[in-house]
Amino acid sequence: MVSLRKGGPVTVRATPIIGVIRHFRLSLQLNFRSPQAIVYGYLVPVLFLVAFGSVFRAQIPPLLDQMGQLLTITIMGGACFGMPTALVAERERGIWRRYRLLPVPMGTLVGSVMASRVILVASAALMQVGLARLLYGTPLPAHPVQAACGVMVVTICFLGLGLLVAALADDVPAVQALGQCLFLPMIMLGGVGIPLAALPAWAQRISGFMPGRYAVDVLQRAYGGAQGRPLVGFSVAALAVIGAAGTIAGSRLFRWDTARTLSRASWAWVALALSAWLAVGLCASVTGRLEPVAPSAGGYGRVTEAEIDGVSYDLLPGDQEFVSRLSRPFGKGASMEGLDAFAGQLKDWPPSHESDEAQSARNLLCVAGIADVSEDPHEGEIARLVFDDLRERYGDRRLEQILTWIILYPAKGAAVTSAPELGLPHRFREDIIRERTVLYAKKFLGRLRGRIAD
Amino acid sequence: MAPAPMPASVRVADLARRYGSVEAVRGVSFDVPSGEIFGLLGPNGAGKTTVLECLLGLRRPDSGSVSIAGMDALANPRGARHLVGAQLQGATLQDKITPRQALGLFASFYSNGPGAAAMIDRFGLAEKADAPFATLSGGQRQRLFLALALVNDPSLIVLDEPTVGLDPGSRRGLHDMIRAMRASGRTVILSTHDLGEAESLCDRVGILDSGRLAAVGSPSSLIARAGTFSRIQFTTAVPAQASEIVSLPGIVECALEQGTWVLSTSDLNGTMVALVGLMASRGYALQDLQVSRPTLEDAFFSLAGRAWSASERGGP
Repeated sequence: MVSLRKGGPVTVRATPIIGVIRHFRLSLQLNFRSPQAIVYGYLVPVLFLVAFGSVFRAQIPPLLDQMGQLLTITIMGGACFGMPTALVAERERGIWRRYRLLPVPMGTLVGSVMASRVILVASAALMQVGLARLLYGTPLPAHPVQAACGVMVVTICFLGLGLLVAALADDVPAVQALGQCLFLPMIMLGGVGIPLAALPAWAQRISGFMPGRYAVDVLQRAYGGAQGRPLVGFSVAALAVIGAAGTIAGSRLFRWDTARTLSRASWAWVALALSAWLAVGLCASVTGRLEPVAPSAGGYGRVTEAEIDGVSYDLLPGDQEFVSRLSRPFGKGASMEGLDAFAGQLKDWPPSHESDEAQSARNLLCVAGIADVSEDPHEGEIARLVFDDLRERYGDRRLEQILTWIILYPAKGAAVTSAPELGLPHRFREDIIRERTVLYAKKFLGRLRGRIAD
Repeated sequence: MAPAPMPASVRVADLARRYGSVEAVRGVSFDVPSGEIFGLLGPNGAGKTTVLECLLGLRRPDSGSVSIAGMDALANPRGARHLVGAQLQGATLQDKITPRQALGLFASFYSNGPGAAAMIDRFGLAEKADAPFATLSGGQRQRLFLALALVNDPSLIVLDEPTVGLDPGSRRGLHDMIRAMRASGRTVILSTHDLGEAESLCDRVGILDSGRLAAVGSPSSLIARAGTFSRIQFTTAVPAQASEIVSLPGIVECALEQGTWVLSTSDLNGTMVALVGLMASRGYALQDLQVSRPTLEDAFFSLAGRAWSASERGGP
């Protein structure tokens, strides 16, 4: 309440929260009234979806392995182009200068713009998920809660960078130029446009210094990663650090008036934001996270239905014979007795949580192979446990592709030849273990396809 | 004993602001009592906008103080913003926002004020209340900005070049609104480079020249202080005697330019009465009579030593 006229004490009572909420709502409304915002926020991401779809629709399941990339592109577009374009356009029109006269800190209004952008970007991401399902039959995220959290983390990170772009850009064309400086390297070298595995080793190392790689990782794992696996800690931390540095620098440098120019000291804040990228990349490098991903990684996604059908089950040893024993399903003639602890250990066994899902599956098959070769008293039950574990992790449809991939390319990837953590300490020859993994892969696949009675 | 003046609504003291090597504002001081329309007058680049921006807290002065209703506006800018409504030069809104939305948004930041609906009616925006901003005419936009400036029922209203780009009708309407603001007890500070507007609208003006406040006072007192004279121009059907014209009371200067008499007088009434009497007694008919009083432009010339139009062009 204010009293000025006719003398008397001046009292001031602010009620900014209603205004901030209204500003948040208005930011949403105005976005949907702007054809430009609709084009950049929704139409362009759909074009990317269609472009990816035209290339990867033949995969089984279609586009599943590209959804992390697609969602990252969608989020980057809204956060690194959409928000700064709107902010700078409003600044050029003197709207933020007018806001400056309101009795609220500018940070609250910038915050409400960012909050509204979170909603817009999340809605665009949701649209992509729905359209991919509708147009190509792409499965929905395997871990929806994790996917929602992942979208939030990635969006907030890129909004921080978008805020910095808005602070640095003098006008809207400069937003486009600066945005492209972020966007294009990540598309080309950061694992966002071109899959990481398809990049040369040097580019893969560079990608470790860019947030796009970690965004794709977080979203892809949430979309179709190993079930029950927690959000990828390092990638989330990397996005948090890069996003926080961008937000801090963007807030410090935010200009509400075009007449205000950046001082020389301002570049120290830009250096801070970029140093976060550098720190994340160095940390990833030092901790061995930037080892090149083999081109075959994720290659099982290219396995076709015809290749799965073409697998031969002739000459497979019987389940109770000397080689590749496999117990009957638990509860149908086999007992889990004494194997509960083993089952728990198997779930947490680190080699079964490789970033390459085919390699994780191959490692698990190796466990069955080692138990078989070492003539473990529970060799048949261990193989059954591995089968159940694989089904639980990947689902039958995905597992069919992974097993076919291992059958078709038995020499690819690495082979585990002993597993002391699981009570299988003896080491065996790699070629023997690989041979057994193929036998078990065929036995499991035959059951999934109904070609072998279980 | 004269009544004590009303407490100063705004007090600006020793305000200075430099941009690099340019001293935009140099030690500007003025007081504006409550309920007054105060005009900051000066050619382009004189420092008007910088003074207003310091007053509004949009720019921090290098030195000096600004007090609004006793509140230190530099120490407590957010508190001061509750007291002030402003219309900024060149400001605009989003193309797609409607007057109702804009007023609703700005009003929602304040606990007082008449509310968006009342402002829409009061400023004649009902017809366009739900139309996008981009479709409003210049006059409608100006009314909307005035409504936004008043949305928190401020006691001080700051208007930066409020009539720039308006057609004469809209301009007159805006002047009426500004006078109505004063009538409702508000203080108005406006900047303008239109001398006629300042003379007709403002109770007092401060003339800024190259960042300095050259003079402060009512338009009439500034004109009087400048010591400039009224002009009388006329022709006669029969040539008049120069000696008779020169002997008229108050005549300071007299010239016959291509058949037209041009007189400067310090006593307009006395000269006019005597001139009419002379013409009647000699049987001369006065033709093409023009009388002009001194204006703020003359006052500016007297204070700055150069013509206003030359200053507007950036000339000496």
